[in-house]
Amino acid sequence: MRKKAVIFIFVFFGLSQAAYGAGIDKYETIDRPAMISPDYNSIVIPPNIAPLNFMVKEEGSRYLVKIYSQNGEGFEVAGKSAKIQIPDGKWHKLLEQNKGNELHFDIFVKTKTQGWVRFDTITNKIAIEDAGSYVAFRRTHPTFTLTRGQIAVYQRNLGSFDEKVVMENNNYKAGCTSCHTFYQYRPDEMLLGVRNVKYGAMTLYIKDGVVNKIGAKIGYTAWHPSGKIVLYSLNNLPMFFHSANPEVRDTVDMDSVLAYYVIDSKTVKTAPEISRKDLLETWPAWSADGKYLYYCISPLTWMDKKKVPPKDYDKVKYDLVQISYDIDTDKWGEIKTVLSAEDTGLSIAMPRISPDGRWLMFCMCAYGCFPPWQPSSDLYMMDLKAAEQTGKYEYRRLELNSDKSEGWHSWSSNSRWIVFSSKRDNGLFTRIYISYIDEQGRASKPLVLPKKDPQYYDYCLDALTNAEFVSGPIAITGERLAEAIRSAGISVEMPLAITKATPTDTGGATYEELE
Amino acid sequence: MIRQLCRAMQSAAGTVVLTMLFFALYYLFLWQAVDLRLIYHGGGSVLNFPVFYKGLEFFHQTVFWPGGLVVYISAFFAQFFSIGWAGPLIAAFQAWLLWLAIGAIIRIACGRQLRLISFVAPILLLILYAGYIYPFGIAMGLLAALGFVYLYMRLTSKKRATDLPLFLVLSIILFLIGGGAYLVFALVCGIYELFLRRRPVPGIAFLVLAPIVAYVISAVVFEASVIDVLNGFWPRDIINIFRIAAAYGLYLLLPLTLLGLWFSETLKKSIAGSITVWFAKKEIVLPSPLVAIVAGAIIGVLSLNWWLKTQIGVTYFSCNGMWRQILETAVEYPGNALINHAANRALYYTGGLTQNMFAYSQRLDALMLPKEAWNLLGMWRLFDTYLELGQMNQADSALFQCVEMYGEQPVFLKRLALINMAKGDIGSAKVYLGALNKTLFDAGWAKGWLEKIELDPNLSSDEEIQRFRSIIPTINRDFNIRDDTVFLDLLDRNRHNRMAFEYLEAFYLLSNQHDKFVENLGRLNDFDYIGIPRIYEEAILLYSYTKKTKVEIPGREISAESRERFSNFLKVLAGKYGGDKKAAFYELARDFGDSYFFYSIYGLSGMKQ
Repeated sequence: MRKKAVIFIFVFFGLSQAAYGAGIDKYETIDRPAMISPDYNSIVIPPNIAPLNFMVKEEGSRYLVKIYSQNGEGFEVAGKSAKIQIPDGKWHKLLEQNKGNELHFDIFVKTKTQGWVRFDTITNKIAIEDAGSYVAFRRTHPTFTLTRGQIAVYQRNLGSFDEKVVMENNNYKAGCTSCHTFYQYRPDEMLLGVRNVKYGAMTLYIKDGVVNKIGAKIGYTAWHPSGKIVLYSLNNLPMFFHSANPEVRDTVDMDSVLAYYVIDSKTVKTAPEISRKDLLETWPAWSADGKYLYYCISPLTWMDKKKVPPKDYDKVKYDLVQISYDIDTDKWGEIKTVLSAEDTGLSIAMPRISPDGRWLMFCMCAYGCFPPWQPSSDLYMMDLKAAEQTGKYEYRRLELNSDKSEGWHSWSSNSRWIVFSSKRDNGLFTRIYISYIDEQGRASKPLVLPKKDPQYYDYCLDALTNAEFVSGPIAITGERLAEAIRSAGISVEMPLAITKATPTDTGGATYEELE
Repeated sequence: MIRQLCRAMQSAAGTVVLTMLFFALYYLFLWQAVDLRLIYHGGGSVLNFPVFYKGLEFFHQTVFWPGGLVVYISAFFAQFFSIGWAGPLIAAFQAWLLWLAIGAIIRIACGRQLRLISFVAPILLLILYAGYIYPFGIAMGLLAALGFVYLYMRLTSKKRATDLPLFLVLSIILFLIGGGAYLVFALVCGIYELFLRRRPVPGIAFLVLAPIVAYVISAVVFEASVIDVLNGFWPRDIINIFRIAAAYGLYLLLPLTLLGLWFSETLKKSIAGSITVWFAKKEIVLPSPLVAIVAGAIIGVLSLNWWLKTQIGVTYFSCNGMWRQILETAVEYPGNALINHAANRALYYTGGLTQNMFAYSQRLDALMLPKEAWNLLGMWRLFDTYLELGQMNQADSALFQCVEMYGEQPVFLKRLALINMAKGDIGSAKVYLGALNKTLFDAGWAKGWLEKIELDPNLSSDEEIQRFRSIIPTINRDFNIRDDTVFLDLLDRNRHNRMAFEYLEAFYLLSNQHDKFVENLGRLNDFDYIGIPRIYEEAILLYSYTKKTKVEIPGREISAESRERFSNFLKVLAGKYGGDKKAAFYELARDFGDSYFFYSIYGLSGMKQ
């Protein structure tokens, strides 16, 4: 008797599951695609990405999604929940088999009044090229006035939902960690900026498991393609607040300069051409061959560097300039304007050049140099190859923009993907998006980084920003990094006393490696 | 008679009754005297109150980390502190479990009951609660550790050569679920083996292995700092030395007791179950529970931090619209800027800001709090004032800093949701509502708003939101302005912003800017005031008298009562004392200490209270 009951239960269970998978013979069609969240409709998908779990935002008591492509076996996901959680193995297999093909979602919903309904097929494209295998990003509160809340650098395996902390500010009793950059997308050679009341401002240089503490603050960083120098900005960016603007927080670069750290000699240098007293210089980016540095400049128009914000801060607009550099002779050329704010009417920031040297992507916003706090900030593209031929730097606004802030963009190593931060879903919480860039420089509709729980972004109160593709997992542990932070101060020669943005001269002891 | 009573209380039934009485009183003390809702609320003084979210995401984030399970369970139960009677019940139950665990462990360790020692742990916890510290999490960790100690003692035997494998298994499990509390387990087991069972090899081995187990699991398995993991369960953010001692005393109680048992046979005998006292030349044996009740009562009352209770209480009352309680506190604690600020808000909501604000102690800098008070305690008081006035950005900034400091507490998230709805950023509001929807007790509130948004995506028919939208200023200014510009901008935006008007006039009255006060009296007609509010009448009378000019407000007359009062005031000051302010002070304070006349002359108020 008991045996029969067990068999009955198994058969019943199996049949009820099979009832979903057996195919729905009778249904009505609805002439529109189903509403799904996140919006994974008409996008280009990296073939190595984790399952794009989503919610079906249609009323119903049962849901069935058929996922299929040209090659291989499609599969179904079914259940009572509108939460569609796609099985990992089947997903990756299907994507792997269908690079360059379309991927379809057929969504069926059992409604109260109509029974089963089928919505128009959702069609996406699977790219041929992978995006980076990991993404490193920063997770913070949307505003970090006090730096007591959690600020952490995370790494996310793009092919799964695994996320791991690289370092968080609890490791060193509060402060700010940011400006993580990787040499040629390598997880074993990176820089990480840290600011902390107790241990001061510093940069961690990690190479092959060794953590070196550079006793110097760095800002926005750009590795020279040779790996021999790292160019960075030093900025004085006090935060201030608007009493009536939609965006509460704002910042202005009171003073800034560019400098570069020479890896072998462990020294910091600058040059008069990139550290002018009458200019604000920021957002460095190297050309793919390392022969040119692109960066943003604006005239420094205020004398009183203590009054925040200074008068006419909202009229400050940055130009995009270029300067030649010879790594062998350490010689800088003449500054040349690539794009002027006067011509665009907007302020230019965050230039990033694709690894193949073809494209220059940048932000433009109403004023200033910090696009994340500017709803007007959008992404633009410039074809450098075309500019070489025509002598004209022409640009266009990318299709992927929204009416909210876009920025913090970064290229994949194959120049086919970008990862960027956007507040498009709401005005406050930055999310990470990925978009495909085709050979004509057109950007596909972006997709938000998928999460295991497709409703995650409906309740995540963190801002996810500063995303960078990395070619593998970052092995160094947070504890190892925190140990370096807590270790005795290491100084680096800082011959900079040119502008107020520079840190205090630390006395001239040379940099030493830690064990 | 007394001896007979004590003998009765020492019986088994008597002990049980007394123990129950101890915990009943413990519960009542936590409920009525301490009021755990204040710890839940925090008020800027409790730094480590945990948040809790339903769902797998929070579960995964929290549990899969050393100590995570205990943190998760503690965070869940801690949410019940928001319910007046429930939090104390849970805290008292936890205290009882600690009492039980310690008693059971001591019984196994020395074969006797040392009831008095068992009561020490709940009393130490009481000291922490009475200091408005959140000790529930560390007590939960301690409970887990004691549970594992008991398990170890029950499962092991002196007859076996070694119990090392069992110790290791229990160590790993406890470290995973209890984190730093594991050290108590290791220490107690080590002392137990070394001194009480007299097995030095396992004893020393346990003490040596403890940090190794902690390091291996933290650094190797989880790649985490072992110090950070251990710190998670040790007392932090406690400043008072007495309470720090209580917190460490909780952890060290059992190890020190076991050491004491080994050290002194006398100790073992003398504190078995009672205390012997001499009364009227007769020996009376007082049962331990009775001693614990008396000691607990005295220590509880002495350690209750009344001032902190008041401060947190005022923010709690403020956040919950308990105006009467705020005004009662303001009377008890005159001159405190933070309490004065809350009192003015209470006066506004009870109609008192225009009628009897000078019946309370007033200071100009308390109205909107100066820049110097813009610390976290100040922000706790200001965010509601800003929100209600219409200064959404200032409220937003204050709330964000509170979130950074105190965590994603529902009290902040609700207000941030409202601010974003008011500013038209429905997307951001929905994220806050989404987070609130995952809390235990605020999900209903969030669901209500999410449903409204579903039906009316821009909330254009919601009265509360539309009212907020109608009062948000449009002129962008320096955030730090604290003068009348703030209120004038708000009134420019919407002349029917009653709170802005009353605060504006209060500002002028407090700063003796009578000309400006009179200039803005015409705004009375933008509201539904009947006649002229009493305080304004007094100011008008004073102004007319000193400036020798008549102030007319169309459709409104100064009442006869106010005229008579002013006349009597002048009779005393000018008539009886010939204008000598010093001489007239006491009589004027007694009869007119709640009037604007008095404040204007002496700069003091609330004298009649």
